[in-house]
Amino acid sequence: MSAAILTDVTRCIGCLECVAACKQANRLELDVPRYWQKTDGLSADNWTAILKKQEDHYVRKQCRHCLEPACASACPVGALHQTAQGAVVYDREKCLGCRYCMMACPYGIPRYDWDQPVPYVEKCILCYDRITQGQQPACTEVCPKQATIFGERDALIAEARSRIARNPELYIDHIWGEHEVGGTSVLYISDINLDFLAYTSNPGTRPLPQTTAKAMNAVPFAFVGMGGLMYGLNWIIRRRMELAGKDGTHED
Amino acid sequence: MNRVQNTKLILWLIAGLAAAVGVTRFIFGLGATTNLTDATPWGLWIGFDVMAGVALAGGGFVITAIFYIMKREEFHPLVKPAVLTAFLGYIAVVFGLMFDLGLPWNIWHMIIFWNPHSPLFEVGWCVMLYTTVLLLEFSPVPLEEFSRYAKIRAFLMRFRFPLVLLGIMLSTLHQSSLGSLFLIMPFKLHPLWYSEILPVLFFISAAALGLMMVSFESLVSHWLYRRKPETHLVAKLGKAAVWVLGIYLAVKMAELVWSGEFGLIFAGTWESYLFIAELMISVIIPIIIFSIPRTRNSAAGQWAGSALVVFGMIFNRINVGGLTMLRATGDTYVPSWTEIIISLGVVSAAALAFLFAIEKFHIWEQRPRHPETDKHAGASFDHTSEVWLGEPVVSARTKYSLAFIMSFALGFALLPGHKLESKGIETVVVEKARGGDTLYIDGNHDGYGVLFNHAAHIDTTRGRESCVSCHHMNKPLDRETGCWECHRAMYTATDMFGHDRHGSAQGAGLACGECHTPGLERQRSTAKQCDACHLDLIPPGSPIIADGYLAPAYVDILHQQCITCHREQAALQADKPDLALCATCHETVPPEYLQAAVWDNPRAAEFNRVVLPGPVEQTGADDE
Repeated sequence: MSAAILTDVTRCIGCLECVAACKQANRLELDVPRYWQKTDGLSADNWTAILKKQEDHYVRKQCRHCLEPACASACPVGALHQTAQGAVVYDREKCLGCRYCMMACPYGIPRYDWDQPVPYVEKCILCYDRITQGQQPACTEVCPKQATIFGERDALIAEARSRIARNPELYIDHIWGEHEVGGTSVLYISDINLDFLAYTSNPGTRPLPQTTAKAMNAVPFAFVGMGGLMYGLNWIIRRRMELAGKDGTHED
Repeated sequence: MNRVQNTKLILWLIAGLAAAVGVTRFIFGLGATTNLTDATPWGLWIGFDVMAGVALAGGGFVITAIFYIMKREEFHPLVKPAVLTAFLGYIAVVFGLMFDLGLPWNIWHMIIFWNPHSPLFEVGWCVMLYTTVLLLEFSPVPLEEFSRYAKIRAFLMRFRFPLVLLGIMLSTLHQSSLGSLFLIMPFKLHPLWYSEILPVLFFISAAALGLMMVSFESLVSHWLYRRKPETHLVAKLGKAAVWVLGIYLAVKMAELVWSGEFGLIFAGTWESYLFIAELMISVIIPIIIFSIPRTRNSAAGQWAGSALVVFGMIFNRINVGGLTMLRATGDTYVPSWTEIIISLGVVSAAALAFLFAIEKFHIWEQRPRHPETDKHAGASFDHTSEVWLGEPVVSARTKYSLAFIMSFALGFALLPGHKLESKGIETVVVEKARGGDTLYIDGNHDGYGVLFNHAAHIDTTRGRESCVSCHHMNKPLDRETGCWECHRAMYTATDMFGHDRHGSAQGAGLACGECHTPGLERQRSTAKQCDACHLDLIPPGSPIIADGYLAPAYVDILHQQCITCHREQAALQADKPDLALCATCHETVPPEYLQAAVWDNPRAAEFNRVVLPGPVEQTGADDE
């Protein structure tokens, strides 16, 4: 199964119930504004937030659970990893605190416990323990307007398409998250542009792990190639020295 | 020899300051000692200590390649210092990383938990292995001092060539993989620095920097010990650097043209000027200096050329490491002085270790005279007059220790105590809610307040008797004190007991023994409780437990007060299902009939620091 969330911005009334439910389900503390929280409503204690946009539009921000997550590919110890359901979850026992995941995320989602001497990465885990027990995430469960719904990714894309088809003058004909950076599990349809959710308005469809994969695949060749090159060079130079009557060996 | 001693003294001073900051960082966390934010999670410690540090330590693989692989025997005097610099450089990188990692004690996890997709995993392994290789490459030098280890030394010497080869191979990998780290951030890194061939650029620039770092280090250390500089060798390295820098420039420009980003250099943005400055410092001016034979062979030219490359490449690593991402992330990050001092401290410690090794071991052909054991320094006893003449003997080591301890203490004194304790929370003073029957409560001044219908709450709750649930204290000379008078800070608990006022003659004028039990340690917990004297302090029916008299944060108590009751009532009253919803109380803009009172109030700017008239474009939302 591929767990997914579809958020319909036109339906959200900004009641913040999802935020409250998220806090309760994940046992997060009260959100206190700190000076290192500069981007949006997300914080180490706020895994989802409602962004207020023009004309009473409310956009829920949360981890997108990319189909090919940049954070999981970046994590040197695999503390962030994708589960079979598609949720990108965090294993704090493995983490060493390098924060490469935070650098790699194209949506700027992971947060850090900057105030703690023993800090961890904090982000939405798609209520992984709840969905494995057949429940839906806390946020979608409480939404009073069904503005954010949980289900199979393919079914939600079909639902999104049919909503856009039924109401073409309301919606922008685009499903955010269908193809961006290889597709995300958290999808949006909206009547306002949602490009602000990512660091770029044109993220493309290439999954970000592919950017480093090319370089990583070249690593063994670079290793052996440089070794061969250096050894070959040395052999040639030694041979020339021998031919020139010089001793090629050197002490210390 | 004063030059060496003064330099060491300064290095010890910096190390002392850094040690104080370092200790603090592990007690209070990264937020207290850095200016890092959620949008800028990598700062100076990664850009300088790690990225630039590894590149600066690249001299080791470059010089060993020239000497052992290409058999250029004339560079022999540079080999040992270069390997030593590389070894200490890598130690410094790992040491510096310990401050930046959130959970540094888990660094060994890389050995057992593998993620081969991660460039950082590869860098981590390479650095681990290469540091070991460097240790084995360098250890014959200190082992030379101890004849009983001659066999081990001979054994290590036999593997010198394979070790050198392995070192070059490992360096190739991680010097380039440090560039691969940033391939995954195409949207954040500015296009002038982002490139698909970033790993190649990183490798070439590391090779160029390696050549110049060895030159720079040779010039500095020879100046320090007042020795004749190795001008002819530096000139040769400079000549080689021209080629490497030329290749770097050509590849970089070709990449920019090929990707159609060449025009960005002249776009007139601050990044374009930064790019031009970086390129001038790190590549173009040094190429000019080392291309002209007169400047290449002159001391001034060598100093300038090598220093420019060193600083230019540090600049480049900092630019890639985060500085040029600020436009995309919309953040502003300037390293705090505590970050800068840790970076300098790590460099100072490495420099001290370098000087130690230079003096103790056979690194240079001719060892420098050991300044600390210089018998001519200090005072001498004059036997005829039976007095000590000259300066009193304060050995250099005593001076260094004193410098370190004093700056260590000074470091703690300089650290901002409030910032450390605040956990990143700015103190927001709660003001008295304005209005009569309806109060607009916007304690954190974010324009996202709560309209509280005071009159309606009196009616719907248990009438007049319910007042005490909110006005649950009678401060001296006051009845039914309002919330804001004790719960004075929005997010942090406040002390409502004025100790000094109780003791002063102008205040209560009490003697210590009147509150503190004689014989017991004078603490809050052993003192008399407030209501022992202020009999009227807590009115009957009040919900507070006056234990210690610390008033919790305003937002905590208001939430507790309101939400509990709202939830109960929402469950009881079927006709009010929205009663427990957050948005029922929290509104962005007050309703129209109140806007005159709130927004048009002449003091609105004071109590609503974020005044957002008209359409509200607000990015922050919290769940008060």
